[in-house]
Amino acid sequence: MTTIVTKKTPLLRTSISAAIFLALALSTSSCSKDIPTSEPLPAVTPANTDANAGAWKMIVLSGPTQIAVAAPAPVSDPGYQSELASIKTAQASLTDAQKTAITYWSSGGVLRWNQIMREIAARSDLPPSPNPDGSYPVPNPANPFANPQYPFSNPPYAARAYSYVSVAQFEALKTAWYYKYQYNRPSPFKTDTGIKALLPDSNIPSYPSEDAVEAGVNAALLTLLFPTSVDEINAKAAEQQQVALISGRASASDIAAGVALGKAVAAVFAARAATDGMKAAGGSPAIWQSLAANATARGEIPWISQDGPPRPPMLPVFGKVKAWMMTPTDIVNERPGPPPSTSSAQMQTETAEVKSIVNSLTRDQQATVYKWADGVSTVTPPGHWDAIAEPYISAASFSEVRASRSFALLNMALHDAAVACWDAKYFYFNPRPSQLDPSIKTQTGLPNFPSYVSGHSDFSAAGSDVLSYLFPSGATYFQAQMQEAAMSRLYAGIHYRSDINVGMDHGKRIGDYTVSFAKTDGAN
Amino acid sequence: MTSNHVPASSGFNKPLLFSRRRFLLAGSTPKSNGRRAGHAALLSGCLTFLSLLSPSLHAQTIDDGIMLAKRSLCAGALYTHDSWDSYWQGSLQRVNGNIGTITTQTITMAANYGVTSRLDFIINVPYVWTDASKGVLHGQSGFQDLTLAAKYKLVSVPVGKFGALRAIAVLSGTLPMTNYTPDLQPLSLGTNSKTLTGRATLNYLGRRGLYLNGTAAYTFRSNVTLDRTSYYTNGQLYLSNQVAMPNLFNYGTSVGYRKNNLSLLGDFSVQQARGGGDIRPQDMPFVSNRTNFSKAGATIKVPVPKVKDLQYWFIYSNTFQGRNVGQANTFTTGLMYTLPFEKRATP
Repeated sequence: MTTIVTKKTPLLRTSISAAIFLALALSTSSCSKDIPTSEPLPAVTPANTDANAGAWKMIVLSGPTQIAVAAPAPVSDPGYQSELASIKTAQASLTDAQKTAITYWSSGGVLRWNQIMREIAARSDLPPSPNPDGSYPVPNPANPFANPQYPFSNPPYAARAYSYVSVAQFEALKTAWYYKYQYNRPSPFKTDTGIKALLPDSNIPSYPSEDAVEAGVNAALLTLLFPTSVDEINAKAAEQQQVALISGRASASDIAAGVALGKAVAAVFAARAATDGMKAAGGSPAIWQSLAANATARGEIPWISQDGPPRPPMLPVFGKVKAWMMTPTDIVNERPGPPPSTSSAQMQTETAEVKSIVNSLTRDQQATVYKWADGVSTVTPPGHWDAIAEPYISAASFSEVRASRSFALLNMALHDAAVACWDAKYFYFNPRPSQLDPSIKTQTGLPNFPSYVSGHSDFSAAGSDVLSYLFPSGATYFQAQMQEAAMSRLYAGIHYRSDINVGMDHGKRIGDYTVSFAKTDGAN
Repeated sequence: MTSNHVPASSGFNKPLLFSRRRFLLAGSTPKSNGRRAGHAALLSGCLTFLSLLSPSLHAQTIDDGIMLAKRSLCAGALYTHDSWDSYWQGSLQRVNGNIGTITTQTITMAANYGVTSRLDFIINVPYVWTDASKGVLHGQSGFQDLTLAAKYKLVSVPVGKFGALRAIAVLSGTLPMTNYTPDLQPLSLGTNSKTLTGRATLNYLGRRGLYLNGTAAYTFRSNVTLDRTSYYTNGQLYLSNQVAMPNLFNYGTSVGYRKNNLSLLGDFSVQQARGGGDIRPQDMPFVSNRTNFSKAGATIKVPVPKVKDLQYWFIYSNTFQGRNVGQANTFTTGLMYTLPFEKRATP
């Protein structure tokens, strides 16, 4: 019976401790578990309509009239009037999902499509797993859903993809602007006071709809480049078109003309992509061997794959892929001089420096490594620079055509840097520090391609160069990011100091090609 | 020799300690051996250590049914060796030539203090080394997560003449001791998440040494901060440096013999993450992956001959089923010493 007496107290204590536990548990769980997947971006009201954008210099198209856009029906046309009526009907019963979609796209489709593209690129950034016999399967564009899925969106592939979509979108929007100001059809909410303006009034004519142009060009090119994401891409495109309509900004005919224009421009770029050298960029066993033989003939130790099992080099012929602002001769002319010989004292010193750094990394240096790892399942270095550009473009309240110019310029430079960097990497075929000294252990995944010059340094210098031109107020920050990105590769133990210094210098020169174009494209 | 004792908390209500039953169970006379018996009892209380350390150390631990005697301290050092070469990438079992065998070694300084006969406080301080046998990745080392736990005996019910059944509640938490990275799995020291765990344990100890233990726990895990501003997991790109960590549900059982300061147990335990994505093909593991596993193993704890109050531990486990974890073989070995601050009350 003593037991019975003593039991009562524990029961009381139990309930108290249980209550304390629950309170603590709830307080822990309440720290927000929900991480938003898309950044909230402010709604954009363009500071400038850029009414002359139809006259800005084209990059691939011959001019805005390369794609014909027929004149719209007059606003008094009964067909157009019934289009307006259907907008009113739709606005009368907006669902919550539609309202959320309007908010989402109010920040501007150019920014949203760039985010979507980064997500898709990260999803596709997976190297194939080895076969049981130690060979590697190659993703097949003719059968993209098979294992391994097509594409493997590695840094050069991603650089090219970001640039194709961004440049095509820019050309399509310049064309749209040309016709907008030729036909000057106002937005439905301006024509009919019964239609609410659920997006900020940009004072930009609505035919053809810029939102629909973006949906058309992005859907077509993203599907071409990332075929396995087709459902998500189409859903986003459909949503953007619907938002253009139900927000009162564009009518059905504005949208139809925009989608058609976007798709027509996309077709021009798809044709370019089919013949830009990408198909041959993977090389062949004979090419891989000749690259090593060339290095050996020069008296250098050739690069070897340190993947287990050894993997064919990543896109060894990407250096021959067509650039945007540079000719193949420019690429060769800009190629940096050779790295220190693998047998030189300088190379020995630089290898020793890598080893010493990697074995005494501070936590801050480690953070820099992880921040800039940009490895598997990431947006890759070019996507990282798009992410850096995003807040500057958003804060600038650009028109859609000018926002698209920023991404087009940036991604052209990043693509050209990829081409030029890959040209140098495979021309010199220089080994990584961990190959020359196997006792060097790396602080991040070792990229499966030659060392010289550093891709991060090249990309970052080109990206920083263009962004500093577009947003001079951020120049100091962009330079700091470039330095950090470049140095992260030395801290990680995957690059020598010369890879980094020469890479930054190289990237700056590549970026300057795009900056020169930007200075004279008529947008200033 | 002595044999015997019934620890203050070994499953019998306090009044029983002073009853004749105690001597029946212990099989010795209290006067001659009472004090020594008390010490020995404390050793067994050490069973309560370790838990929630690295994934490797989810062994017999905070989850048993043993309590320390009042005002006694049990402390020591344990070494854990955990290694795997085969792992589950989602549900696909594979090996990876870029990492070879992943070995995690841990030295844990552990202490357990009996505040009263029904309340123990536990602290663990682990230092961890990681290494990959193949590929070029640099291993990591450093202090991992401090564990603090309060273990409370709710109730103890005698089961006839055969033994006693106890119910125990444990509230424990972990706190990363350093700002180590969670972003280099599987070579990171841990997940760098703060955790809070509620645990309930039912334990039966028979007078002839039959030991039955069942335990279940739920762990809340705080968000983790990365050094980067976006990451891809579970089908989505997150534009944030914050990672939501799925909570964990664990349960386990141990069956065996425990008497006279000797434990021979068979262990089985399961972890189920309440969310999280799978490792993607040829990708690195990610901190918030859904880490599920089933482990089986054994625990041996024996008194060190001729050294009073010192106990030797050997714990082995094998992960025989899992998802996003290594098929690990894990053993823990070490010595635990007990220091009583108060003589055991004798009648």
